[in-house]
Amino acid sequence: MSLLLRLLARYRRAAILTSALVLSFLLMTLQVRHETAVVTFTRQTLLFVVSPFIKVTAATIQGVTGVWRDYVDLRAVREENRRLQFEATTMKRRLEQLQNQAMETQRLERLLAMRQASQAEFLTARVVGKDATNWFKTVLLDRGSLEGIRRNQPALAPDGLVGRVVEVTLTSAKVQLLTDPVSAVGGLIQRTRVTGIVSGNLGAGARVSYLPLMADVAVGDEVVTSGMGGVFPKGILIGRITSVERNSGALFQEATLQPAVDLSRLEEIFILTNLDIREGFESGTASRP
Amino acid sequence: MTWFLPGLLFCAMAQTVLLGPLSVWGIRPDLFLLLVFLVSQGCNPEVATLLGFLIGLCQDGLSGGPLGLHAFTDSLLGFLAARLGHHMYTDKPLALFWILLGGSAAAGGITLGLLTFFLGPRLLLPALLRVIAPEALYTAAVGLLILWLPRIRAALIRSA
Repeated sequence: MSLLLRLLARYRRAAILTSALVLSFLLMTLQVRHETAVVTFTRQTLLFVVSPFIKVTAATIQGVTGVWRDYVDLRAVREENRRLQFEATTMKRRLEQLQNQAMETQRLERLLAMRQASQAEFLTARVVGKDATNWFKTVLLDRGSLEGIRRNQPALAPDGLVGRVVEVTLTSAKVQLLTDPVSAVGGLIQRTRVTGIVSGNLGAGARVSYLPLMADVAVGDEVVTSGMGGVFPKGILIGRITSVERNSGALFQEATLQPAVDLSRLEEIFILTNLDIREGFESGTASRP
Repeated sequence: MTWFLPGLLFCAMAQTVLLGPLSVWGIRPDLFLLLVFLVSQGCNPEVATLLGFLIGLCQDGLSGGPLGLHAFTDSLLGFLAARLGHHMYTDKPLALFWILLGGSAAAGGITLGLLTFFLGPRLLLPALLRVIAPEALYTAAVGLLILWLPRIRAALIRSA
């Protein structure tokens, strides 16, 4: 025993490094097939501790930006002819308001149409943070299980599919975007009804793989969710094909896809809350070895 | 070490919220990696390894990747940075930039290796061009700015 302690004391530097590396490796190994309770608990604890600070920071930034904009506006008004500037600003703002209202109406109409089509219940959540690395594409929401958000619920925007909920705490949730390299969504080419798998393309949009070699796929084709797998309802717009690759000798053809939603400018997300979610059944994650 | 927890919290908030508008082609500097580099300068390799592990774990918690991915990378880099601490000390900004660039690129390479091992093969060239190289450049530039800002300020005060 004393020999072991002496050895540990002597090689403590190597022992600590090895322990840290082995523990990290073990944690990753535990998640290869499915997440264990230890990993889920650690993830949720970390998110639960940090997310309030993130929310406060996001709210503060929004507030400061608003105040700063008001200040800049005020200075501009003083520098210009006050009455004319006021009138111009008022009219401009009125026009912007009307444009915003028109856009809002369009957005709500599309949302209503989508809602009627899918008979679904929606919950709106604000995006407060982005993924902490450049390797993965996730966003943090300001709502969690207290408001009814559950794991694997689909996340949408008025223009189409955003991704799915992968992690939930009481007051926050994490959404995996469809451009995340480990995301996978069953897709269907709207025009020809050919199915494929839409997955993230490491920093460059998304790609559609496993398209049959002889299938008719063309640039500009719309891709919608196929509904297979039980996570995403059928018929939600995912994006449009931007290029098709047919490599000689390959069994399938691949295509790159431009998501319908601008995922870099997400502010609000709609979570579909009343779907029958079957965890572990094609959970929207790419196949792992 | 008293500033470790506030620093970690700041990095978490900055990385997820503040750096969004500063991203270039969707790439943001890795502040967690800079924190590992900074804390490793003032402590022994054992402590640097543990702090690197904690920093990486926090980053993994706020990311969509597997838990342990950055904990592995950051504990290894923390150890190496602390071990080579006195060799890495330099007054030359260009040398510092290269050290940061090398460290960040090495971190990217290790991450890619681990991702390939656990989640299946990744294409090397796209990963290199779209993530590793731009992230390393951006991180090194921001790191250089952070490390040299106090020196620039001191030089300005002296000259005034």
